[in-house]
Amino acid sequence: MRNIMNILFTSFTAFAALVGCGVFIAIFTVIFYRGLPAISFEFLTDQIRVAGASGGIIYNLIGTLILLVSALLVSAPLAIGIALMQTVFLNNGALKKRLELLLYILNGVPSILFGIFGFIVFVKYLGLGKSWLTGGFLLGMMILPTVTIALIERIRSIPKKYLEAATGLGLRKSQIIFSVILPQSMSGLTTGSLLGLARAAGETAPIMYTATIFAGATIPTGIKESPVLALPYHIFVLAQDAFAPAAIQNLWGAALVLILLVFMLSIFVLPLRLKIHEEAHHA
Amino acid sequence: MPDLNTCMTPILQTHQLSVAAGERQILRDINLCIPTKQLTAIIGPSGAGKSTLIKCFNRLVEYVPSIRVNGDVLFHGQSIYKPSVNADQLREKIGIIFQQPVVFPKSILQNVIFGVSRLGHIPKKQWHEVAEQALTDAALWTEVKDRLHEPALCLSVGQQQRLCIARTLAQCPEVILLDEPTSALDPKSTEAIEHAIENLKGRKTIILITHNLGQARRLADWVACISTRHGVGELVECDLCEALLTKPKSAEVIEFIKSRRREEQISPMMAS
Repeated sequence: MRNIMNILFTSFTAFAALVGCGVFIAIFTVIFYRGLPAISFEFLTDQIRVAGASGGIIYNLIGTLILLVSALLVSAPLAIGIALMQTVFLNNGALKKRLELLLYILNGVPSILFGIFGFIVFVKYLGLGKSWLTGGFLLGMMILPTVTIALIERIRSIPKKYLEAATGLGLRKSQIIFSVILPQSMSGLTTGSLLGLARAAGETAPIMYTATIFAGATIPTGIKESPVLALPYHIFVLAQDAFAPAAIQNLWGAALVLILLVFMLSIFVLPLRLKIHEEAHHA
Repeated sequence: MPDLNTCMTPILQTHQLSVAAGERQILRDINLCIPTKQLTAIIGPSGAGKSTLIKCFNRLVEYVPSIRVNGDVLFHGQSIYKPSVNADQLREKIGIIFQQPVVFPKSILQNVIFGVSRLGHIPKKQWHEVAEQALTDAALWTEVKDRLHEPALCLSVGQQQRLCIARTLAQCPEVILLDEPTSALDPKSTEAIEHAIENLKGRKTIILITHNLGQARRLADWVACISTRHGVGELVECDLCEALLTKPKSAEVIEFIKSRRREEQISPMMAS
């Protein structure tokens, strides 16, 4: 009887793992198979032409990178601030719990609500129009919980002895933050940021009303009325509206580029994390 | 007979010092004087609150959760628990070295000037000089002078502990608290640390917690014994080193010395 339960349970876990891998492999195979013919030097370096049926996605790629970098620049300082508040400055347990709860709630806000909020506040009320900065800000807010929680966990795992030794030397709180806490928790910031950005790279909802247009934008030179092109929005529009076979092929090509970009961000996490971990022990 | 409590120039003095963590009383009514530029050893059984006591001297005890300190500690005759006292500045003057060496994941040199370089009392030009002096005083200079930029974690545990002593010395503290600095070390490293401590005798006020009576005898001017009475740590006796170790008066000290002698006789046999 016990044996049967064991076998059943093992089979179930194997089945779950297979389903997880299977879905991933299926998605990737389809995108790779259909997207690869679209990839060419021209596709990667030319701008969009004939409503996506011809030309390439260079400005979509650049636009997505601009959004990601601004999301990073928005979320990193805020995450550091919140994490330090949570771990160093707040002594009140109830307040700490509330702050953490708030982060989890923020993490659960549907991305379309970020888009609508951005549209009402930035595009309309502040009159910015569509702007890369709004998109970057909204994506930054979206990934803020991921980055912050990764950082908090890393700070909490700093051995107490380091804090005690630094305190024993007479260092002020701010000096301990800069000499012990931040250097030893940077890996949390990098890991959290890369994981968050990998997710943000593919988001369409927060940027479709606030930051991107389908065609006609290059590299933004200002803030007001300065939209960018972006890969996920490009895919979204083509998937909805394209009929020309060439445009549909380019849609798969853009999807392949996007998924590779996200892979790169995710794959960076592991070695970077290991490297920083190692440095903390040997440097 | 000289008595530690009537010594002429105490640099540190506790007055009815009691410490409790939550419901549990750790120390009760400690009245102890620490004479200036002398070495006071604190002995006593494990768990009697010796570490807690010395952490009261630089207010590091406040970082223990739910701790309450009653009574007072006077440093140069002034209470250190007054709200007006800046605890960080106090800790610059009263350095502490822990049982296990705590070395930051940085180079040897960066570790020595870890506090100095950030506190900003000493100009950058002199950091190297300060580091050399501190490492010399900690009896480590000759071993590391050619590899100051190597990671400090490559040093042996004994060297790391001397590096910690150097790091504290670099800040020119008036008092150095040593919390069983050799308990994690082998005999050779212990000897090196004792050598370093001997170097400092007469120049700094040193408070040394030790389990090793031989170490107390070799190094200390004064000895204070903290022991538990009804589960709470109390100061049971303090006197000149020789007097306390040869003619102890209280039952606790006699018992403690007996038990340590037994262990110190057994341990070499077990080691061989």
